[in-house]
Amino acid sequence: MIRNILLVALREFRQITGMRSFWLTLLILPIVFAGGPIASKVLGSDDTQRVMLIDADGREATAIRNRLDGDRQRRILTALSRYAQRYALDRANPTAVWAQHDRLYGEADVAAFVKAGGLPAALAAMKRLATPETPAFDLPEADFTMVPTPPSIATADPVALDRLLKPLVQPGEFGDKKARPLDYAVYIPRGFGTRATVARLWSSEQPGADFVQPLQSVLTQRLRIAYLQSTGLAPEQAAAATTLVPSIAISTPAPGGGRERMLVRSIVPLLSAYILLMSLLLSGNWVLQGLVEERSNKLIETVLACISPDELLYGKLAGTVAVGLTMVAVWGLCATGAAFATQGAVGEFLRMALAPLASPWIILVMLYFFLAGYLMVSMILLAIGAMSDSMRDAQSYLTPVLMVIAMPFTIVAQGILSNTGATALKVLTWIPLYTPFTMLARLGSGVSIWEIFGSALTLAAFIAIEFVLLARVFRASLLNAGQKPNLAALARLMQRDSA
Amino acid sequence: MDALVLDDVTKRFGEKTVVDALSFAVRPGEIFGFLGGNGAGKTTSLRMVLDILRPTSGRIAVLGCSPGRENAGDLGFMPEERGLYRGMSAIDTVIYFGRLKGMTAMAARSKGQDLLERFGLARSAKMQIDKLSKGMAQKVQLAATLVNSPKLLLLDEPFSGLDPVNQGLLEDEVLHAARDGATVVFSTHVMQHAERLCDRLLLLSRGRKIFEGTQSEAGGLLPARLRIVARDTPMRCPGIDRADAGDADADGWRAYDVTLCEGIDPADVLQCMTEQGITLRRFDQQRVSLHEVFIHLVGNPSVAATGQPA
Repeated sequence: MIRNILLVALREFRQITGMRSFWLTLLILPIVFAGGPIASKVLGSDDTQRVMLIDADGREATAIRNRLDGDRQRRILTALSRYAQRYALDRANPTAVWAQHDRLYGEADVAAFVKAGGLPAALAAMKRLATPETPAFDLPEADFTMVPTPPSIATADPVALDRLLKPLVQPGEFGDKKARPLDYAVYIPRGFGTRATVARLWSSEQPGADFVQPLQSVLTQRLRIAYLQSTGLAPEQAAAATTLVPSIAISTPAPGGGRERMLVRSIVPLLSAYILLMSLLLSGNWVLQGLVEERSNKLIETVLACISPDELLYGKLAGTVAVGLTMVAVWGLCATGAAFATQGAVGEFLRMALAPLASPWIILVMLYFFLAGYLMVSMILLAIGAMSDSMRDAQSYLTPVLMVIAMPFTIVAQGILSNTGATALKVLTWIPLYTPFTMLARLGSGVSIWEIFGSALTLAAFIAIEFVLLARVFRASLLNAGQKPNLAALARLMQRDSA
Repeated sequence: MDALVLDDVTKRFGEKTVVDALSFAVRPGEIFGFLGGNGAGKTTSLRMVLDILRPTSGRIAVLGCSPGRENAGDLGFMPEERGLYRGMSAIDTVIYFGRLKGMTAMAARSKGQDLLERFGLARSAKMQIDKLSKGMAQKVQLAATLVNSPKLLLLDEPFSGLDPVNQGLLEDEVLHAARDGATVVFSTHVMQHAERLCDRLLLLSRGRKIFEGTQSEAGGLLPARLRIVARDTPMRCPGIDRADAGDADADGWRAYDVTLCEGIDPADVLQCMTEQGITLRRFDQQRVSLHEVFIHLVGNPSVAATGQPA
């Protein structure tokens, strides 16, 4: 029996791997994965927003510019701090602001950072401890850039500003269609803060909080100073009162720890669930085609004269699993090649991502759910193939079945990545049709032993029942041609073994 | 030991009886025709022999064993509806089926190459099936059937869909296999092939056996027919059912198509004519064809219904 099963499996494997479409489809995934980041770099647009400030007094524009610049320096400082902590570079200057990881950086920290030479000085200090494997610091992109205010606008009557600014903010509608729009234009009227005047903001789209908040903060500060002065407070005291901010000590996991660690550790399990789904859809489809070909070419009777329907069924299942594992192996080789080709940050990322696989127990569990998933879905596909005289017939069964299998995958992926929907994930874990995908996806974020064993046993029981029932459908349908069985006929086929 | 025995075999699908208490035996080395119209139960019977279907009741013995894949190495089967893996080469197809029948890859390759060469396909052995003509693909199918040098060759409507050249090739291969000691059972509803090949035959109608025996025994089921040329009518002799007279020539000789009553020996009629002084210029006994026997038996409602020839 084993010999015949292996012969059928080998023939299936050879037939599928001999198809040009197999290799084309196989290589599409790595190409898409490799091409995605490259394409986004090539096609990626500059996200830095362009801002024009029109300040009749010239006082607030400087304050806004300083605030935006301060915010940018804070972002650089925060990123630098994480970088130093991640690669243990803070020992290069333990007293530097970027080596302090215990608080939210305030204005004083930013000022100290700038005063100490800012980014160039920090990087120069870190360079002493950096190893060749240490990746370069990834400078955060600037959020805003200032656009000089043309004299015609700076000196224009406020009433005319609408007419002058619209072609710049909405060039598609009012100006040069090819021109890049100005993201924000801010007008601060003369005497702002001392009398009832209204500042104006023109925006190319719904204004974002990242710009409105600092703008509002600067202008609010101006209003508060004016108010406090009007109550008799000295100008210095009034200004000081508006700059008071609380010191907040923070405690966060080190870079690569906490949620970030869990996310990265979830990537390989999640990816394996995705790969299971993809390879199943592809290899299952090919094996289905093979079976439909055997039926439509009237080959099946010749084959059944030599081997039993069970040997044919198990051989085809083994062939499907072999094709699927080959696909996974090829994708794994591509991933390994990519890991070797990309050192530094990606290598570090991969080390963290592959950390869950360090345990043989986890590898065993992943292998079990992967193979069980394959057997479970392949069995369904083979039963469909046995009932179909043509691929058109098969599609009418296949489409709804695949939709039912694949649709919850988005819920699983979203739930894992956003750390939400824990209940939904737990429920899906116990539905055998979704158990392999959900368990594979959840392995990186921690699953209890009893859940692993319980769902594994439930899945094994489901597959056993599936083998009994669908094998009956398979055997009964192999030599039948003509009308497709409806649900009632299908149920009858499952109830009894016919020969 | 008989090569194949069916003993009171019945097969029902739900309420429908497709094979009804069928019994027969095929002797070793025999070419056995399994004749019947469409839906007579030929394919179902062969599927039961191959264990693709299980009988509802009765017993089957194939080469002395129960039906099962254990016998696959000794069997060769060609189904009525044929097909091959389009993406496989001719030689790989033959090897694959040889291996499914328990052969080693080397033995299957060696025998497969011999067969393909015999069938004039040596140069196309590595070509994919979908690149071969239909006739060539049929030869590959035959090679896949014969690769294991089967002891029992089961052919279900083997001549259907074959061009005359391949029909001739198949007839030669059937005789070749029989000469090599194989037992051949083939089903057909084309009687000419059966007449040329069969040692014995079985006629099946609506799942029931209506005849089993040799061709001459089959011929005996129908009244004999004579073609005579005489001056006097042969109706004077007893045992003649009818005599259709043709036109007389100038000398008064007239041709008669004579149908004898059932069970009458033509020799008795000849003797009677001689005694009666009927001068004969010609006395030919017309051979009854299998086709006529088939039409007579299968087309006869009482025979078809009871399974018993009148």
